[in-house]
Amino acid sequence: MEAKTKDLWVFVETKEDGSAKNVGIELLSPGRTIADKQGGALVALVVGCGVDQAVEEAATHGADKVVVVDSEEFKEYSTDAYAAALTTLIEKYGPASVLIGATPNGRDLGPRVSCRLNTGLTADCTGLDVDDETGCVCWTRPAFGGNLMAVIMCPDHRPQMGTVRPGVFKKPAASGQKAEIVHEDFHFPAEDIRTKLLENIQEAADELVDLEGADIIVSGGRGVGGPEGFKVLQELCDALGATLGCSRAAVDAGWISHSHQVGQTGKTVGPKLYIACGISGAIQHLAGMSSSDYIVAINKDADAPIFGVADYGIVGNLFDVVPALTAEIKKRKA
Amino acid sequence: MNILVCVKQVPDTNEIKIDPETNTLVRDGVPSIVNTFDGYALEAAARIKDNAPDTKIVVLSMGPAQAEAALRECLAIAADKAYLLTDRAFGGSDTLATSYILSQAIRKVEDTEGKFDMIFCGKQAIDGDTAQVGPEIAEHLGYPQVTYALEVQEAAADQLKVLREAEDGKQVVGVGYPCLVTFTKPSFDPRFPTIKRKMAARKAVIEQITAADLADIDLGRAGLKGSPTKVKRTFVPPRKKSGMMITGETPEECAGKLYEALNGAHII
Amino acid sequence: MTTQYNPVTAEVIAELEKVVPGRVVVGADVNPDYSRDEMPIYGTRMPDVSVDALTTEEVAGIVKVCYEHNIPVTTRGAGTGLVGGCTPICGGVVICTTKMNKILSYDLDNFAVTVQPGVLLQDLADDALAHGCMYPPDPGEKLATLGGNVATNASGMRGVKYGATRDYVKAMTVVLPTGEITRFGATVSKTSSGYSLLNLMIGSEGTLGIITELTLKLIPAPKATVSLIVPFEDLSACISTVPKFKMNHFNPQAIEFFEKEILITSEEYLGKQVFPRKVDGSEVGAYLLITFDGDSQDEMDAIVERAAEMLLEEGAMDVLVADTPPKLKDAWAARSSFLEGIEEQTKLLDECDVVVPVNKIPDYVIFADELAKNYDFRLQYFGHAGDGNLHIYTCSNDMEKEEFLRQVDDFMSKLYAKTMELGGQISGEHGIGMGKVKYLAQALGETNMELMRGIKKVFDPKLILNPGKVCYNV
Repeated sequence: MEAKTKDLWVFVETKEDGSAKNVGIELLSPGRTIADKQGGALVALVVGCGVDQAVEEAATHGADKVVVVDSEEFKEYSTDAYAAALTTLIEKYGPASVLIGATPNGRDLGPRVSCRLNTGLTADCTGLDVDDETGCVCWTRPAFGGNLMAVIMCPDHRPQMGTVRPGVFKKPAASGQKAEIVHEDFHFPAEDIRTKLLENIQEAADELVDLEGADIIVSGGRGVGGPEGFKVLQELCDALGATLGCSRAAVDAGWISHSHQVGQTGKTVGPKLYIACGISGAIQHLAGMSSSDYIVAINKDADAPIFGVADYGIVGNLFDVVPALTAEIKKRKA
Repeated sequence: MNILVCVKQVPDTNEIKIDPETNTLVRDGVPSIVNTFDGYALEAAARIKDNAPDTKIVVLSMGPAQAEAALRECLAIAADKAYLLTDRAFGGSDTLATSYILSQAIRKVEDTEGKFDMIFCGKQAIDGDTAQVGPEIAEHLGYPQVTYALEVQEAAADQLKVLREAEDGKQVVGVGYPCLVTFTKPSFDPRFPTIKRKMAARKAVIEQITAADLADIDLGRAGLKGSPTKVKRTFVPPRKKSGMMITGETPEECAGKLYEALNGAHII
Repeated sequence: MTTQYNPVTAEVIAELEKVVPGRVVVGADVNPDYSRDEMPIYGTRMPDVSVDALTTEEVAGIVKVCYEHNIPVTTRGAGTGLVGGCTPICGGVVICTTKMNKILSYDLDNFAVTVQPGVLLQDLADDALAHGCMYPPDPGEKLATLGGNVATNASGMRGVKYGATRDYVKAMTVVLPTGEITRFGATVSKTSSGYSLLNLMIGSEGTLGIITELTLKLIPAPKATVSLIVPFEDLSACISTVPKFKMNHFNPQAIEFFEKEILITSEEYLGKQVFPRKVDGSEVGAYLLITFDGDSQDEMDAIVERAAEMLLEEGAMDVLVADTPPKLKDAWAARSSFLEGIEEQTKLLDECDVVVPVNKIPDYVIFADELAKNYDFRLQYFGHAGDGNLHIYTCSNDMEKEEFLRQVDDFMSKLYAKTMELGGQISGEHGIGMGKVKYLAQALGETNMELMRGIKKVFDPKLILNPGKVCYNV
């Protein structure tokens, strides 16, 4: 299709309670930069059912305009209804670029929409820029399991589309300005939705310790000193949304159950962030966690082998440093 | 049931290393494997066949002649028939062009094998990681899709019940036929080929499909020039610096600096 | 054989400080891991002092101080042993070699590599492969140090075709208990040059000298590898197939056997199911896991076809083929985690590592199963079937420790007696350490034990090196 405008659209996915998923608001940040460089407006597209809160969030976080589709058939995500809404509105308004959060639903939806519009889509981007020469969006994304980064452009097709990984960009600060809000009266016949949700299985909160699936692990070893010590680590876990791990020494001492153990005789993990507290870093432990993206070591022994694999190290008493870090995180979040 | 499984031969990305001197990918000696997620899709098809032995499983791959090896592996594991879609005109295709060519080829294969009730794909290829080709094939064919499937719970006469991964938890989704399902890692591993299947696969004939066999294809939508996205450049990401020690007068100062560092690197 | 040792005094520590300034770790600061290996059930003891050594000269300097002051010295690597071999039961000084972890040089013309003793097995295996070579010894524990592997003459999965660590040691640098540095062996393919001091060192478990450098033999890496998973209805059908491989001119790299129970333990531990538990509706009872290697895929295909034919004739329920890197990894992942799986599910654990003539394995396993019925613990076992090497674990979660130890001792004595009766040996690859001295003495008799003690005294007249191991208790 032809772009009718230079506008950039951000698809804001909504939660069940009608608020916006973080990534939708995050994308207003790079969206603003690109829209300004391309000389267009920043438009948020909010789709869902009872989504006033999401609309409000988008409208006060930098969007120039918020286009809203609010109707019963969008209460639950479905590929058919959402793809129809997005393609119809994109065709109607003709934005130059569209950003979609690379959530499971975003990655289900994105290719369906781009294919229907016969345009290019770059998946799971971690960086966005504008090419000085052509004015096209430069989409940066990892490939080969993160071993290679590729910069992709979509020169001749519009809109230029990409899904962008959550958490890469920071939410813009709330502004006093309020965007124009346009309600679109779009409906999709419920009987045309070809997939039916038969059952929702919520994960029990206290299910088995999922170390393998954790994004962040806070792990304790001999330096934790006893079962009470792990409470200090649990508080950091709660602040970070992290999972509690430990070394074999802590299990052998009976301070914590084996289901938390990382290492050769425990679980092999590869989180984005591994915070090792009071763990010396025996080979057997390193074998289970050295593929973590980032490793932080907190240990009072400056010669502990764990510092050899750490990206960031703090030499100090974990009972001083960990509570301070928990407090810092709580403070920043507030 | 008549099931098509789309597979891709990929380099084993776990084996890819970075040459520390040139800072480039070392691809020499990296084994080629059947894309891991496609293996899960094939296993899902095989499990349907375990329950309904008259099920037919056809595999289709687009790639160079060497991709035959991947197809033979699928034959050894569970597939009944294999097709290799290969033509220079298809080289350099992005996901939109790839899915277009595959959708054309699927129509062609259906002339021989009959209409497929289900098309199974891996969630994504481990070399490209886009997760786009499956949904785009569904769009080209006008089929409903279920992505992030873990396993098929039931292939009933009127609908397929699929257990899928959702953002928080799991869902059971029903979808009518024909449909397209993309699979992610289930709790089980794909089966091993038996020696008998292995020997039969070694001798099996693999049908080749080229651009000339696809009567309706618009080659303007295939290959490099039919691809809307272009790779401008690639680079090896800078390796993370190791071993930065954070120091400060007080624990609070250390914690603050650590937070800044982690936040600055988009880790938290 | 007993001796009085002196305490580690401030004076001794000061002398050690001169050798390795700033790196002498004393008392409570010593890493508690240094008090034990993987089998604390045989006892633990903290050393008074520990040093992570970096060079041969440092090791020699430390040993010299200890020799002069009559202080025990125990060497350790990664501490992955299973017989209490590196436990410093008389205290004193522990020298840890894990920081001597450099691969020093390759001599690819002679297929040799020179390493420091703290290099991990898996690191050498990977690095050798990058040089187009294979280091054949393949114990299950990939995080063991090569020094430890040589000290115990470890062997592992590939022993069937390639033998034990002993067959791959060409030369070594050794620090003797006096602090003298000497060199045994040479980079040659054969030798007839007097007593083999090199071979005395291999398997001596740190009681004769401290290995500080190793020259190891490599072979050209095989170009193709295939593994077969072979389910059988029961254990006896499974094991009786093993001798048939050699009889039919097959030369597999590995033949492992295991029962379904231990497989399930391991797969539960790993959280994934790889092996079939039923074939065409019938329950599987036991498995063989076999690996062939060779020069080309075609050669492999032909061998695998022939082997499969033989296996099916011998009563295999099916033959499954793993010939791609991910499938090979899956096939061996469960096997490699047997010990971890058992450890996770078991509070009290002891093991034996007997080796018997290959054709005696069925008799032996039946005997062990029958014998175990008289005790309160459970048995879990698996083994290098092709080598006649069995790992038998006694496991209990509800027994009192004292009672467990008492029953295990009774069980083991009878088991070892049977081992000798069948023409076997006490340990196939784990060693004697301090856990099995008593059983070794029962098996070998006083004459042989006295010869061993004589050798010990020649090397180590003051008995300061790893006291209470292999040939005498303290």
